Amino acid sequence: MTANTVIWRIVAAIFVFVLLSPLLLVILFAFTNRSLANFPIEHLSFQWWGEMVSHRQFAAAFWNSLIVGGVVGVISAVVGTAAAMGFARLPPRQAGIGIAILSLPLMMPPLVLAVSLLTAFVSVGMTLSLTTVILSHLLFTQPFVILVVYARMTAFDWRVVDSARDLGASPFRAFLTVTLPIIQPTVIGAALFAVALSIDDFVITLFTIGEGNTLPIFVWGMMRTGLKPTVNAIGTLIILMSIGLTLIALWLTRYRG
Amino acid sequence: MTRRAPLVLIAPSLAVFVTLFVAPFAYFFLMSFWKKQRFTIEREFNLDNYYAAVTDENLEIGINTLIVAVSVALTTTILGFIYAWIVRFKAGNWGKALLFVALVTLFGGYLMKIYAWKTILGNEGVLNTALQTLGLIDEPIAALLYSPGAVIVTLTHFLLPFAILPIYGSMRSISDIEMEAARDLGARPWQVLAGIIVPRCRAGIVTAFLFAFLIAAGDYITPQLVGGKLTMTGNMIALQFGQRFNWPLGAAMSFVVLTTALFVIAATHSLMALWRPR
Repeated sequence: MTANTVIWRIVAAIFVFVLLSPLLLVILFAFTNRSLANFPIEHLSFQWWGEMVSHRQFAAAFWNSLIVGGVVGVISAVVGTAAAMGFARLPPRQAGIGIAILSLPLMMPPLVLAVSLLTAFVSVGMTLSLTTVILSHLLFTQPFVILVVYARMTAFDWRVVDSARDLGASPFRAFLTVTLPIIQPTVIGAALFAVALSIDDFVITLFTIGEGNTLPIFVWGMMRTGLKPTVNAIGTLIILMSIGLTLIALWLTRYRG
Repeated sequence: MTRRAPLVLIAPSLAVFVTLFVAPFAYFFLMSFWKKQRFTIEREFNLDNYYAAVTDENLEIGINTLIVAVSVALTTTILGFIYAWIVRFKAGNWGKALLFVALVTLFGGYLMKIYAWKTILGNEGVLNTALQTLGLIDEPIAALLYSPGAVIVTLTHFLLPFAILPIYGSMRSISDIEMEAARDLGARPWQVLAGIIVPRCRAGIVTAFLFAFLIAAGDYITPQLVGGKLTMTGNMIALQFGQRFNWPLGAAMSFVVLTTALFVIAATHSLMALWRPR
């Protein structure tokens, strides 16, 4: 091993340390008994988790996150997979342009997206609720589903679908009985990406939810009233949920960037 | 398969895009020319909001925002490039693990990452206590947190994975043969870097820079939590949709941000287009 490789390994190690340590610190301090998120750690304890669970707003926020994440996952999986199927039948160039256009919301600052959605909902007389949150989340989760499923379809063997069609299956039946079973892991993985993004979203939810809470909105309220490790407990929950879902999704889709 | 089938399949997605993105933005754009009265919004075309958005305190805030956003975008892109370069050329079998770290940190807590930096950089934070315990400082350094520097560090950390992936994506397609040929012909490592690697990664670099710029320029939670006295345009926009209740002005400010971003996009594209492979 040359001096050169050693240096690059050290640089890489520093990068990984800086990327991971902030999140690991949040998780670590969620399990201590001190009321301050700092070293030294005296005992490991679950007291802040107890406090989190017994908080009167926690259950509602948790359920809202699950409802929004679940509904967004299902709808954007259906809508996004359909679109990916459509794009897969187009010439690659046209498909690329189409997907890029549908991905435009991702290139917007979330705040600008959030206030334009808020303005639109209010102008058509919709009351802000979980429904408006779900609609808003669809906008930035569907491009991910389309990208992931479309990437899978570029390596798809269309001959199996053609055989099914030749044997008399309708296009929809051929999709349900042939295409879907083959690409199912990718679709589920893409849906989980969507759920992870939805659970993690803060800015767009904040402007479109009105009265209620999701976990990030709940933790935001606590962060402003004072820094207690309860924040770390909720934060850990959010991090574990979104990273956990991402890991499963990565494994299912074998998506490599 | 009939020729119309693709469009039918894309239709639901397109409906979401048009009703929740195109239409709201068109309405939002119209609103930026309206005027807020006491409790109502008067639909009368005027440019007062745009004038207010680019003068006095808003101009100063806008310039600060531009400086912070460009700094974040530059730092993120350079660090992302180095990381991608290590993954592609230096890490060997470890490259996959490094890429995995970038993918995992892409998700997992926008808000919690900002909060994490607050616990690290605060007066009673991890860094200050560590330095005090080591005897390097007597008093906590207050400027670690609540400063433009803290905003840049926090945003760079958040955006780094988003920069690594597109740069690595474009680096993957550079062939080893091309680089070996350059080396055999006597090119020095920096010549290979500047003459082959950077120009070949242009698309990834531009994507990384622009994404980081757009997100940083429109952010308001990071300055609010770790920025101290630093106010960014995002804070002013959020204010118009909160306490000040002046939506038309907030809309105009949003379009000023987007227009500035368009100029930065054009400038970045034409600058990077000059950097051709040699």
